[in-house]
Amino acid sequence: MKEHEFFVGSEGREVFWNIPLPAFEIILFALTAVALAIFAYGVYRRWQMWKAMGKPEMRLDNIKERVKIVLAEVFLQKKVLKDPYPGVMHALIFFGFFVLIFGAAFDAGQHHVTEPLFSWTFLKGNFYLVFSFLMDLFGLFVLIGVVIALDRRFVKKPDRLGYRGTLDTTPDDVIVLLLIGAIIVTGFIAEALRIYVTNPSWEVWSFVGWLLSRTFTGVELDTARTLHQVIWWVHAALGLGFIAYIPYSRLLHIITTPANHFLTSFKPTGYIEPIRDFENAEAFGVGQLEEFTWKQIFDSDACTRCGRCQDGCPAYLTGKPLSPKKLVQDIKTYWLEKCPDPLKAMVAAKLAGAPAEGDAPAEETPAKALVGEVIDLHELWACTNCMYCMENCSSSIEHVPKIIDMRRYKVLTEADFSPELQLSCRNMENNSNPWGVGAHVRGDWAKELGVKTLAEDPNVEYLFYVGCSGSFDDRGKKISIAFAKILQEAGVSFGILGTEEGCCGDSAMRCGNEYLFQTLAQANIDVMNGYGVKKIIAICPHGYNALKKDYPNFGGNFEVYHHTEIIAKLIADRKIKLNEPLKGRFVYHDSCFLGRYNKIYDAPRQILKAIPGIDVVEMERKLEKSFCCGAGGARMWMEEDIGERINNARTKQAIEAGADMIAVGCPFCLTMMSDGIKDNHKEETMQAWDLAELVVKAMGREEVKPPVDTCAV
Amino acid sequence: MNIIACVKQVPDTEAQIKVKADGSGIEEGQIKWVMNPYDEFGVEEALKLKEKNGGDVTIVSVGPARAMETIRTALAMGADKGVHICDPAFDNADAYVIANALAAVIKTLPHDIIFCGQRAIDDDAGQVGAMLAEALGLPQLTLVTKLEFAGASVKVIRPIEGAQLSIETALPCIVTAQKGLNEPRYASLPGIMKAKKKPVDVKNAAALGIPTDAKAKVAKTIPPPARPPGKIVCGDDPAQKAAELGRLLREEAKAI
Repeated sequence: MKEHEFFVGSEGREVFWNIPLPAFEIILFALTAVALAIFAYGVYRRWQMWKAMGKPEMRLDNIKERVKIVLAEVFLQKKVLKDPYPGVMHALIFFGFFVLIFGAAFDAGQHHVTEPLFSWTFLKGNFYLVFSFLMDLFGLFVLIGVVIALDRRFVKKPDRLGYRGTLDTTPDDVIVLLLIGAIIVTGFIAEALRIYVTNPSWEVWSFVGWLLSRTFTGVELDTARTLHQVIWWVHAALGLGFIAYIPYSRLLHIITTPANHFLTSFKPTGYIEPIRDFENAEAFGVGQLEEFTWKQIFDSDACTRCGRCQDGCPAYLTGKPLSPKKLVQDIKTYWLEKCPDPLKAMVAAKLAGAPAEGDAPAEETPAKALVGEVIDLHELWACTNCMYCMENCSSSIEHVPKIIDMRRYKVLTEADFSPELQLSCRNMENNSNPWGVGAHVRGDWAKELGVKTLAEDPNVEYLFYVGCSGSFDDRGKKISIAFAKILQEAGVSFGILGTEEGCCGDSAMRCGNEYLFQTLAQANIDVMNGYGVKKIIAICPHGYNALKKDYPNFGGNFEVYHHTEIIAKLIADRKIKLNEPLKGRFVYHDSCFLGRYNKIYDAPRQILKAIPGIDVVEMERKLEKSFCCGAGGARMWMEEDIGERINNARTKQAIEAGADMIAVGCPFCLTMMSDGIKDNHKEETMQAWDLAELVVKAMGREEVKPPVDTCAV
Repeated sequence: MNIIACVKQVPDTEAQIKVKADGSGIEEGQIKWVMNPYDEFGVEEALKLKEKNGGDVTIVSVGPARAMETIRTALAMGADKGVHICDPAFDNADAYVIANALAAVIKTLPHDIIFCGQRAIDDDAGQVGAMLAEALGLPQLTLVTKLEFAGASVKVIRPIEGAQLSIETALPCIVTAQKGLNEPRYASLPGIMKAKKKPVDVKNAAALGIPTDAKAKVAKTIPPPARPPGKIVCGDDPAQKAAELGRLLREEAKAI
């Protein structure tokens, strides 16, 4: 190897300075080969495990979009950075390591490729100076990231790094952090010792190594050389150890998390794959681990236990046993228990004289029920389907479909679910609404308003799909009346289905009663298609979401709008005028099925803004981080007997925001917030309103009632 | 163990009942039909007995073609087979005819215990269980809220005003189910699918060889008189509301 000439103007360094070549290089290569082999074996073994279980699912279409998602989520850390403090922590380590790997690749590239083959060196001159500076800077970033991580895990201990106050830190978590830290520290020391011995003036650019080298003043040069060799080997061994350790530790997320982003679902948010064959199946939903798809199982291996999901889970935060993180981790633990170990299987097959190929029989594991034992039933039923976990998961894990699949098993296959939910299901079966009010009164709210049904006049632009709340619930009916008045005032051409309308089925679907859901959906679709309906407006986000995203599966293809979208447009187009000032400090509560599910965040806020005379404040948990009212996922129809009531917790957040009026765009939310106001003993000073009701008031179209009045019932 | 459960299809409790213009009955067009809730308790108890002691459950029902849905519902819950007594001759049948029809079928089937609802929620007559017991010459245990099976006999609880009776009888016997006996199960989907393939015998009056003339006939169905509308005192000021309420009670209702 020829000697380099380094001088001012041709700054650089010898790549393997102080390392006796070629003997050490051979050892290094041998160690590298061992590390890579251990890594490759680990990944291979895991690959076999990923393949071993689960039903097929197509997740490799549309590669271009998938690559884009990986670029955004991995290389720009989009979701990771949404949470600033842990986001920056991770980004420091991620980007730091990313740049350092490039550094190592440049070193190796010059030393093993460009120089021996083309006699070309590039790590010199100004490029070297910038390179050195960046290496040190990003090395420092990693170190800062590691310190923040240690501070979080051992000093700050945020709840989300555990479950109900118990940290779930494993030895592996500590090993990984210390390993990363040690690689960086030994790297800096080795650099500092080299700078101390060779002492070139330009190495001030390697600012960390330079500063550190100053601390060695007085050390014998020979001692420094020996020390350098030792540290250099430690550094190399740690680096290689890191690579080898990846598939056996949480570092595996370097592979699984980007892979999970790549395998993301392109279905609309909250879409649930329907059961397509009821006639020939023996069991429905997921009662056994292997009844999940491979992707649903793979999800759990991509979980980094970061706890972003848990941070806003309404069930977890109000003291229910459910934590999305725990659910995914419990599935993972069970999978690791149950999944046949390909190595053991291979050995067993060899010993038995059978060919090593093919599916080896699964390990004998004690039979455990997935639903009921691995996943506690209280966890399963606590989920409100609010989609916080999925929206905020930085690994693109899909929690909610797993929950619905397991609920399907309980409801459809076992018919084992709470009596109150059974009653709601029977009510939906018999009267097409969860309350069980006689189906014949569905259209009665509209009788005095002169709203026509499509049977009376099918030539209208919009079908106003009222839904069960708007038809049967006394408070809900007021929303329907208000919205109908707005449409009439604006001259919008619309009609309703009256008694021909049925329940949208969202609650049935989300409690796992897919059979009932499809029966209800099909009945609605047949009626709507019968009238040639094209555009639909819903006042309930649950119906809105189901009609928009789930009905197309059964031949219902409509343009679906939520009433807040329509009202916001009517205001913007000056079709309605809001001249009557209202009073109060309003806060808007984002409905999950409007916000996270359908990204309708602006229209409701625009409506509030257009109402004269009011103050508007925001809650801390809003938009995509909004907090559920507690009624989604069919929770509206279930008892809530563990922990604090979710609606009370949400109402408290509104109170803390200083609001005395809660505006909503969902009849379920309206019920929950109204109850929350009562339970918080604020009914004298606080009220909840649907935006349509507020708009009618602000239009001055609300009936002026005498101070005392009697009305017939 | 051979268990029989008799079921009747009735209008849903929330259904809007409209009396036919000629008073000959109710309009059936818009009605959602369901299994009589008391019969459902009987079916559930039959299934529980079967699950504990083995045997099979046969559903027997008298009704028009639509009653088949109700038989299938019971089969979906877990019953094994059904007998559907279906004949226009039974359209105006009274409890006596129905009980005899059921008895004619049940006589041909092995039976250790027979369940009926204590009454049907449509005509509220509450006679079929008792008449069936007479027709079969079996002991009858009515309005049962708890049942214990002990080999060749059953012990049941029947609540009465201020106390409860514990009654025992040897099998076979007839039990009429009262609310509180159990919580009827929700049919599983595999159950619903299997129910479609379970055997149901359809029998007409001729096959049973029984008289179909009702001893009692419904002369006329009359809707209840329209209730005068109630009133709600609305308003924001409690004092004014109270004053208005007082005025209405005194002047209009003449209650005070």
